[in-house]
Amino acid sequence: MRSHQSPVSSTAHRFFHRVTAYPRTLITLGALLVIGAGSFLPSLTTDTSAEAFIPKDHSSVVHRDEVKELFGLSDPVVIAVVDDDADGVFDPDSLGLVHWLTREVQEIEGVNPHRVTSLSTENDIIGTADGLLVEPFFETPRPTHAESLEIREAIEDFPLYLGSLVARDFSATLVIAELYDPDDGDMVYQRVLDLVDRAPTTGQELHVAGEGAVRGYLGRYIDTDARRLNPLAALIISFVLFLAYRTVRGVILPNLLVLAAVSVSVGAMAAAGVPFYVITNALPVLLIGISVADGIHILGQYYEEQTLDPTAGSRELTVRAMAEMWRPVTITSATDIAGLLGLALASFMPPMRAFGVFASIGVAAAWLFSLFVLPNILVLLKPQSSPAITTRGAGNPDPSDSLGFDAFGRLTGGVGRWVARHPAPVLAIGLLVAGLGLIGLGRLEVNEARIENFRHSEPLYQADQAINRRFDGTNTLDVMIEADSVEGLFEVDRLAKIEALQRHLEHHERVRGTTSMVDYLKQMNRALHEDDASAYELPASAQAAAQYFLLYSASGDPTDFEDIVDYDYRQANVRASLDSGLYSHNKPVVEDLQRYVDQHFNEEGGGLKAKIAGRVNVDYHWIEGLASSHFRGLFIALTAAWLMASLSFRSMVAGALAIIPVVLAILWIYAVMGFTGIWLGVGTSMFAAIAIGIAVDFAVHTLDRLIVLVRHEGLTIEDAFARLFPSTGRALLFNFTAVLLGFGVLTTSQVPPLVRFGSLVAVAVSSSFVASLTLLPALVAVLRPAFLRPKTPVSLPAETPIEQPG
Amino acid sequence: MKPNTNTSPIRTAILFVPLLALSAAALSASDPVIDSRPLDLPSGESVVERVNARHDGVTLTRDLTMKLIDRRGKERKRETRGFRKYFGDEKRTAIFYLSPNNIRDTAFLTYDYAQADRDDDQWLYLPALRKVRRISASDRGDYFLGTDFTYEDIKKESKIAAEDYRFRTLRADSVDGHTVWVVEATPISEEVAKELGYGRVVLWVDAKIWISRLTEFWDTRGEPLKTTRSLEIREIDGIWTSHRLEVDHHQTEHRTIFTFSEVQYDLEIDDNLFTEGSLRRGL
Repeated sequence: MRSHQSPVSSTAHRFFHRVTAYPRTLITLGALLVIGAGSFLPSLTTDTSAEAFIPKDHSSVVHRDEVKELFGLSDPVVIAVVDDDADGVFDPDSLGLVHWLTREVQEIEGVNPHRVTSLSTENDIIGTADGLLVEPFFETPRPTHAESLEIREAIEDFPLYLGSLVARDFSATLVIAELYDPDDGDMVYQRVLDLVDRAPTTGQELHVAGEGAVRGYLGRYIDTDARRLNPLAALIISFVLFLAYRTVRGVILPNLLVLAAVSVSVGAMAAAGVPFYVITNALPVLLIGISVADGIHILGQYYEEQTLDPTAGSRELTVRAMAEMWRPVTITSATDIAGLLGLALASFMPPMRAFGVFASIGVAAAWLFSLFVLPNILVLLKPQSSPAITTRGAGNPDPSDSLGFDAFGRLTGGVGRWVARHPAPVLAIGLLVAGLGLIGLGRLEVNEARIENFRHSEPLYQADQAINRRFDGTNTLDVMIEADSVEGLFEVDRLAKIEALQRHLEHHERVRGTTSMVDYLKQMNRALHEDDASAYELPASAQAAAQYFLLYSASGDPTDFEDIVDYDYRQANVRASLDSGLYSHNKPVVEDLQRYVDQHFNEEGGGLKAKIAGRVNVDYHWIEGLASSHFRGLFIALTAAWLMASLSFRSMVAGALAIIPVVLAILWIYAVMGFTGIWLGVGTSMFAAIAIGIAVDFAVHTLDRLIVLVRHEGLTIEDAFARLFPSTGRALLFNFTAVLLGFGVLTTSQVPPLVRFGSLVAVAVSSSFVASLTLLPALVAVLRPAFLRPKTPVSLPAETPIEQPG
Repeated sequence: MKPNTNTSPIRTAILFVPLLALSAAALSASDPVIDSRPLDLPSGESVVERVNARHDGVTLTRDLTMKLIDRRGKERKRETRGFRKYFGDEKRTAIFYLSPNNIRDTAFLTYDYAQADRDDDQWLYLPALRKVRRISASDRGDYFLGTDFTYEDIKKESKIAAEDYRFRTLRADSVDGHTVWVVEATPISEEVAKELGYGRVVLWVDAKIWISRLTEFWDTRGEPLKTTRSLEIREIDGIWTSHRLEVDHHQTEHRTIFTFSEVQYDLEIDDNLFTEGSLRRGL
């Protein structure tokens, strides 16, 4: 009998006697809280966009929206018609197909029919002996062979469309459909796929991609597999819980805690109007890890108390268990919350902040239910023993303890004995791991590309690759140029500046082409000089530029240039196409562009301002922010967790010991990422939060148990280890196994980000578990810190050699 | 082809006789509005006939301000001075841009031929290049100089090409307190519809002065396309004249507002104004 001898627990005893006085009332209140929070769930919205990660007032988002609003540019869904014949796409069949696809795409709900661009919608600008002709490249549904060749010649004479609308080797052309609402991306993508299926092809390949499709489809792509795997994860976790105590309540009660934590946390999100972001997928994982821990430890204690005193009633058993467990459960919760709030505080990204705040709410809910609802359920249930915990089994080497454990307990007990005897090699391995982690950190690559979330055999991935290979690229970077006056863009020196900017951009390997009003003016200048190729240059005066546009309007549509220059010729858009969406490829381009723009535009009195916009810019700032915020957040979270643990244990050293396994676990993940080439990206950056939450739990439970055993029960550190490992260690083992196997299921997914996430969670919990059960005790054994000196003189001096049977 | 520079006044006069006669005939024809049975609607054809019979002067001079507004509300304002003269059943129009500065002295000249199979001729003078540029024969449904009017709309002014449509009077109605006949016009063939860019047109024709006060257009797919309003209709030199035309394009959300001032009919206009040389010389 030990727990009720503990001097600290007498107050706790009284407290939990009071807590368990009205079990039905408290259970009802708990149920009402869960139902109340859960009732908000239907109003939960999702936001899987990249922009969600950047504050709405961040310049990259503001500029992107400005460009979208001014020039009507949005993320399109793109169909590529590929024909590898000698004529490329310039034969009657392929052009007929382009015409057919264009007309059909215009009919698709969600597509803006006026913003469908293809060879069959665009106008050619042709110079004639005495004038200028603006007319569609072709109008008939199926041009003849001769007409097809003429269209090809016309395109060759129209550099603006080469690389953007038609592949430079003529092997492919695009049908580009802009959407009214980007949220329709997935729906439009599916309809375009159906369309492509019934398209009258004659040997051409059709690919469907584009940012609209990628963004629209990505959310569903991940969700579908997650939805398939999550029930499996729940099943596996429940099975592990069953193994732990081999009782039904051992499965149900921790699951109830998970339910409470997740529904309160996500319900609070819905109530606060915060959407479910991509990274919010990590929230249930973390809460499952933490809630299962609370449940396992409380139940473990309950079964131990029952074994020690089989005659005790339900209430007495529950009160005894709670008197022991409220403290570690509270300390782990407080430390988790401190870490999570630190993470929230450190991040400028709304989803990260939301994650920190709502995960804290979830942890608090798990704590509340562990302390006030779970004991009341136990009180109402009949006393029960667990076949896993018996009296005085062979597995218990400690003569002062009368508990016996199953094979799992004996296993962790064995580990404990080994660690106690060989702290030096354990510490050495720990140091080695830390060193490897630092090396891994050096090799860690911060990177992200949305398209890499798809498996490489996915048609969308292949389409994206094909289009980026044959065309200038689907990734866009915009520069919005603004003059100080109406028609101010017509000034020749300003047009020349825009042209110089385009040439500068094109120096980058990844920038395959640029377009602006300059290109159209040059095309018109050439057309007005009898199509003389040497006249492909800027007009000689502002008047000429203005008059070209007027002349164009004599045969073009009023809205023809709305995507490149605004209506009063004050703002223009320069769009660069990049063939890669990879952060590491685009970072130098954006940074160099910013320098160029600061140097050549934006100067005082220059009359021209330039702002960088476009998806590539948003993504750059997003990932750039992600990396810096990741490391800053981690540092602040660890510091906050350390302070909270120090405060709880009233010892800075104890606080530090609680954090060391976490640090080691994180370093180990860096090592794995660095050496296997997993990028630190959006999904993978979340492992840190999960590692902190779970590793802190492991370490705090270990440390708290040690303190109780040494300080209050007067055991030597070595005896305390012998007690700790079969009981607390065993609980940690099941906690670890549940989370490991539960989320290990994700590694069987077809979806790359889920596989990465699942494997990193597995690495995170494994390393946390191993570090808590080996490195932490080894450190304690070697350091013998002051906070672990017994209060009562009962025990032998700490220096006494270990007296345990071998 | 070069602009015609030698039309003799006598030939003009001769050519005008039948036109005047036609107008007179139309005016004296039995007036369906004064029909004793109010429920009996005039036929669509007869309404359109009256519209097309309206006299609009042999010559016309006027100042025209074109206000073009894009869907974000940004405006382009262009001030012009325009001249129009019938040379028999051939109509010639010259428009000189006065502002903004960058396009001042730009001038547009068009010869509209009565023969359906003959493409109209159009020229634009660009002062920056000091060159007159011929604008290729545009489709009738193409938009005119960045406005929401098509070349056909501009060419017919407030009239309707009777040969392109079948007409049907739907009902009597009122617009701004004026009694109107609501006439539906349907292109006679898909081909014509495609050429015009209209699948259906409904006109609210004033039953007294035979001007469509309100016209709705649908595209060939049946989607609402644009709405045109004739406003500030006043009598000038005995001819009912709109001083303000507004077009709302429903699909592009683009708007066009034409305001006319200094409108004068039947002033003496030198034939030489409608020549390439005169475009170069400017006003």
